[in-house]
Amino acid sequence: MVFRVLIFGSLARELSCVSIAVDVPDNASVRDVNEALAACHPHKATFFRGARLAVNHSFRSADALLRAGDEIALVELVGGG
Amino acid sequence: MSATVRIIDGALGNPAPALPPAAQFGAAIVFDGVVRADEGGRTIRALAYEVYEPMASNMLTELGREMLAKHGLVAIMVEHSRGEVPVGQRSFRLTVHALHRAEALAAVGEFIDRMKRDVPIWKTALDEAPMAS
Repeated sequence: MVFRVLIFGSLARELSCVSIAVDVPDNASVRDVNEALAACHPHKATFFRGARLAVNHSFRSADALLRAGDEIALVELVGGG
Repeated sequence: MSATVRIIDGALGNPAPALPPAAQFGAAIVFDGVVRADEGGRTIRALAYEVYEPMASNMLTELGREMLAKHGLVAIMVEHSRGEVPVGQRSFRLTVHALHRAEALAAVGEFIDRMKRDVPIWKTALDEAPMAS
């Protein structure tokens, strides 16, 4: 399954994109997406492995399984107010 | 008890009138967040806010409800800007009504700390335009 992980803020500016495509096996978990992100950007692997991912607008545990069509967003480095 | 959230394009306007009937509360706090001219040692002209919706509104509402229950508030209202807000303008407003000041003050501090940590809102400093030579 291919997911486009939405990214925002300073991370989006640093990487000059608004999403990162990752290819993970069927019945992949949130953790698998973290690992795929780390593999895409090895210079930021530690950050991506620990990054909080929202699935369909809610935080999910690392073990939660994904379905095709899920919307995934990386929610880190936030700072409203 | 009520929790209200509004995401507003651009700078916020003047504070809304008090939500609950006055007899229900003894403390009313309106906290306004204002865009500073100095951001990390450099002069800026504005902040631009990215808001990931509907997750941001959902989380602000949940956080507001949690503050209502935990601190025994009468009402809480959150307003947050989306898009560009010039220096000197308001980008965030938290209005809290409670029976007493202690719980109102505690709720304001906790709400803002958790919003800055968890809610999917990002801000970008926009620099002053370079001077024409």
